[in-house]
Amino acid sequence: MEKAKEKLSKMSTSSAGTVLPISSLYTFFLHTVCSLGLALAFWVAHNVYSINLVDIPNQTLRLIWVTEAPIVILLFSGFRQHPNQCSYMKAVGRGLLGLPAGAIINALGAIALGAPVGIRHFSKTANWSILMSVFTIVPAACVFGSSWTDWQRLFAHTKPKGPIDFLICLPAHGAVIGAWFGAWPMPLDWERPWQEWPICVSFGAMAGYLVGMVASFVISVFQKHLKKE
Amino acid sequence: MDLFEQWRSENWGGRKWAVSIFLLILLLHCVAILLFTSGFLLTRTELSQFSQCSDVFESPCFDRNEIGLGKCWTKPAVDRVVIIVLDALRFDFVAPSTFFEEKKPWMDKLQVLHNLTSQSGSSAKIFKAIADPPTTSLQRMKGLTTGGLPTFIDVGNSFGAPAIVEDNLIHQLVQNGKRVVMMGDDTWLQCFPHHFNKSYPFPSFNVKDLDTVDNGCTDHLFPTLYEKEWEVLIAHYLGVDHAGHIFGVDSTPMIEKLEQYNNILEKVVDVLVSQSGPGDLHENTLLLVMGDHGQTLNGDHGGGSPEEVETSIFAMSMQPPPVSTELDTSYCKLDTAGRKVCVDFIEQLDFAATLSALLGVPFPYGSIGRINPVLYALGPGTWNRECHNEGNCQQTDKEAWLRNYVDALCINSWQVKKYIDVYSASSVIGFSKEDLLQVAEMYNQAEKSNFDKLNDSVQYEVESCHSSVTDLKRQIDLYDKFLATVAELARTKWTEFNLEIMAIGFGFMLTSIVIHFLVIKRLENLQQASHVFEGGYKMSSNAIFASLFVAIRACSVLSNSYILEEGKVAAFLLATTAILCLRYSILNKEKLTEAISFIMLICILRFTIELGLSKQATNSTLLTVHLSRILHIDKDSSVWKYIAEIMPTLALTILTYLLHKSTAHRYCQSITKYVVKGTIFSYMLIGVHWILKSDLINVSDISIKADIIPRMIYAIGFVQLVSLALGQLIREENLSDWKDGIVLDTVAMLSAWSSTVIILSGKQGAFVALASIAGGWLIVRLQGLEQKANNGKSGIISLYSSPVTQWSLLAACLFFGTGHWCAFDGLRYAAAFIGFDEFNLIRQAILLTIETFGFSLILPIFGLPLLVTYSYHCTRSKQPKRLFFMQLSQVFLMYGLVTSITVTFTIICVTIQRRHLMVWGLFAPKFVFDVVGLILTDFFICVASLYIFE
Repeated sequence: MEKAKEKLSKMSTSSAGTVLPISSLYTFFLHTVCSLGLALAFWVAHNVYSINLVDIPNQTLRLIWVTEAPIVILLFSGFRQHPNQCSYMKAVGRGLLGLPAGAIINALGAIALGAPVGIRHFSKTANWSILMSVFTIVPAACVFGSSWTDWQRLFAHTKPKGPIDFLICLPAHGAVIGAWFGAWPMPLDWERPWQEWPICVSFGAMAGYLVGMVASFVISVFQKHLKKE
Repeated sequence: MDLFEQWRSENWGGRKWAVSIFLLILLLHCVAILLFTSGFLLTRTELSQFSQCSDVFESPCFDRNEIGLGKCWTKPAVDRVVIIVLDALRFDFVAPSTFFEEKKPWMDKLQVLHNLTSQSGSSAKIFKAIADPPTTSLQRMKGLTTGGLPTFIDVGNSFGAPAIVEDNLIHQLVQNGKRVVMMGDDTWLQCFPHHFNKSYPFPSFNVKDLDTVDNGCTDHLFPTLYEKEWEVLIAHYLGVDHAGHIFGVDSTPMIEKLEQYNNILEKVVDVLVSQSGPGDLHENTLLLVMGDHGQTLNGDHGGGSPEEVETSIFAMSMQPPPVSTELDTSYCKLDTAGRKVCVDFIEQLDFAATLSALLGVPFPYGSIGRINPVLYALGPGTWNRECHNEGNCQQTDKEAWLRNYVDALCINSWQVKKYIDVYSASSVIGFSKEDLLQVAEMYNQAEKSNFDKLNDSVQYEVESCHSSVTDLKRQIDLYDKFLATVAELARTKWTEFNLEIMAIGFGFMLTSIVIHFLVIKRLENLQQASHVFEGGYKMSSNAIFASLFVAIRACSVLSNSYILEEGKVAAFLLATTAILCLRYSILNKEKLTEAISFIMLICILRFTIELGLSKQATNSTLLTVHLSRILHIDKDSSVWKYIAEIMPTLALTILTYLLHKSTAHRYCQSITKYVVKGTIFSYMLIGVHWILKSDLINVSDISIKADIIPRMIYAIGFVQLVSLALGQLIREENLSDWKDGIVLDTVAMLSAWSSTVIILSGKQGAFVALASIAGGWLIVRLQGLEQKANNGKSGIISLYSSPVTQWSLLAACLFFGTGHWCAFDGLRYAAAFIGFDEFNLIRQAILLTIETFGFSLILPIFGLPLLVTYSYHCTRSKQPKRLFFMQLSQVFLMYGLVTSITVTFTIICVTIQRRHLMVWGLFAPKFVFDVVGLILTDFFICVASLYIFE
């Protein structure tokens, strides 16, 4: 947060460039829809299929990403870079391509960090990594496509420049960091069902995602405030 | 003043300076650990008193009329006892497989015991015996004979078993004219050097040898059974323990051993039964077949896990079975053949008291056990059969026994109470006052109720049987409660922690950490003063991450769950640093391949750690068993066998090539050249050794000489080290490429150690060596990426903190990846016998240390200079060499600091958890491993600085 504020103050002088200008109201709308999507998925899981994340992680995770992925892809495609050269459908297509690619990257990262491997765990890992992909890679894929410099700016330098950058960068980082912290209770000997892979990691990721969205909204409000000054 | 002068002077970085700093730290750590350990791992004070026959006159339980009836404390209930100890006898070896969830191949092998127990009319019983940790053979032997709770510090003595000086069962037997014959494990002779009438000891430490002890034991057992000249016979078999250590529980040798024991026991029972007629040799003999402790599926023992503490006692009397006393806790089930087998329950703590009571000798002075009713009832003499005629009621037999048992418990409680009182009076920190009061109250209550009854004894005879039986049972309950309370009290409070000394030790530890910080900071300032690096104190994000990871790792030892999964924690953190590296490499658009391969390497390490954690990957069959299981390949297919044999040799070839290449194109000192050539020769020898050992080629005639190769490798390694040390004395000055010289020196040092480490690690050694080289090289390559991203504007601390943390995390991963873990059963005793068959304490201890810490401590520390040589680019300074050494000492200090911080947290952890259930099973072993690791780290840093610095 502190860092982001510093950067913001620096950047308020430079313009946001080719990205569509969006208001904090719009940010709020977007984040609310994303969170409502999550909530909807949980509601459906609980009331329609009567499953939950702890007992039947596999189906629940699938349900969550099936609900969340279209929302994210359709919403973020509207903010695509260079809207004149790139049609809406093309952006949606990029997002759909980004979904499996991001899933593979997330799965590899999780395996390096110690996620269990095996046929028994395959579908769980797959569903979890698709969900992570929805949180992290897919929005960026919709907006930036294959623009390597933008990707680099967001995920390597972590130097978001405009409101749309914050919109993508903060929730994505939040989800990754949340998942990282979510793995901590796994080795503990409390013998709770939610300590299984990938339940607490998913909870951590979603919590981080929500925190990231709140942060990005706060920054967008703050940025407006700065601009007024 | 001297110290201050040295501190002020700017002449830092010399050899003398560096060595003195590292020696100071080593010294501080030694003092800290000695103090802390002496406070933490205190032994129970051993009292020097011995129980005497005449002591019992002081007890309130003793009937004056019985003086001179030839009775000592209790009336002897059996004449002779045959004790067959089967080392590391798991409970599921003895109990029928129906008692467990699943039938495993090693179950139901001791059929003779099931037969005897299920036969009607036989007085045989199976007990589930619970041992107290530490479950090492010596500790258990001590516990079984003294009836006390041997403490942790004795574990260290297990290799050179000293005589037991405390009062014990064997001493009491000898004092009271019982003759004891011993055969088997020679540890008994070391514990009781002058006690046995006759002994047939066999060496016990060669774990590779499955048969010498057992066959020798059997050869002497049967003739002795026909002899008259003993009252107690002890036969200690070691085959199961050794088979477990070498092959694991689920193996053919183990099953063969169990079948062999089944035959032996069958014969022993035949001999005893055939001699059990009235007036015969074994008319009143008790046969005990028992384990001293259990073992894990991997054949390890020492800790407190259920598998290790659950063992078994089988007891059989030659007389008809006793009437049920209703005091037993038996649990019956049908076995696979449909016979009803019952299992009773006993604590090993109770063994000494029960056996003393049965044999009619005084209880050992320090015994806190209780007479086990079921085992006691097996002694025919405890059934006062004359009473039968007196009363009219049917329950007289049982009632008389209960009365006998109450008398015995009375003496038992009196003895335990006396011991507790004397102990509290004579030991520095005894039991707490409240506890003593509570115990005394319970004792008095039990005593009072007993005497009220004795006074009414006339009335007692007339009373109806039923009520008197209830009375007796109530009395037994009172005594039981008292004895159980004492045992619990002893278990929870036995280790006396001296908190003051522990705190002082901890203070020294903190001082050393402060010194680390001060010296690192001072070196940083000096380098900045010479204007080599601009930047100032600003910590870079990498340094913050590095310290965060060190902190997380250190804090993780505070929880037992994280200690159990320490390898995974280390791999998790290492992978996180690798992902951060990947991020920086994307940022800089360079070394992307290195970053990705580093992550891949961690993936591989992570899987080996999980194999190690499943506690199965420890022996050399790792490759064949596990890879084949993963890949679903038939283990016996010949192609797979060939691959498994060839792969390690291939890895070794790659190693040789790398070593050759690393020195080929550089100017070499002659000594270095010879050392490297020696290592290449050693590698070839290792290859030959593996081929000879493999099953592919039938070389039974040469295999006798197989020991020569490991010995040659040790000798070559030793000569290499000596010549390198001598080479340092006559080092040629070579100013132009001194950096190359240091690289070569380091490589030579590493290569000199590597051959020994690899052969000790077995076939996985070559792979691990490759992995550690790859890991080290990648860390070296990836360092400084962040530096570039920030245009190099940060200090040395930031430059090195991240790679040093990675280095130490990698070392931790290698420790767990090579199949070790922080417990005594994690040691690979078999490795100590590579190249040697006979046991020699110092030699085997050195080999075991090199095996345990080779990849995780020795090689990483000697490899650290490579880290500095790669990133050190300094042409601006006038004294490039001095600056280099300053940086190198900073790196050494940082590495030491990381280790010290982890150990400090381990110390905090054991202090907090000192009353935890798992303190002896988990925290204390972890503490010992960490502490030994820390001292060795300091020591090897000293050696490395002596070797590298000028």
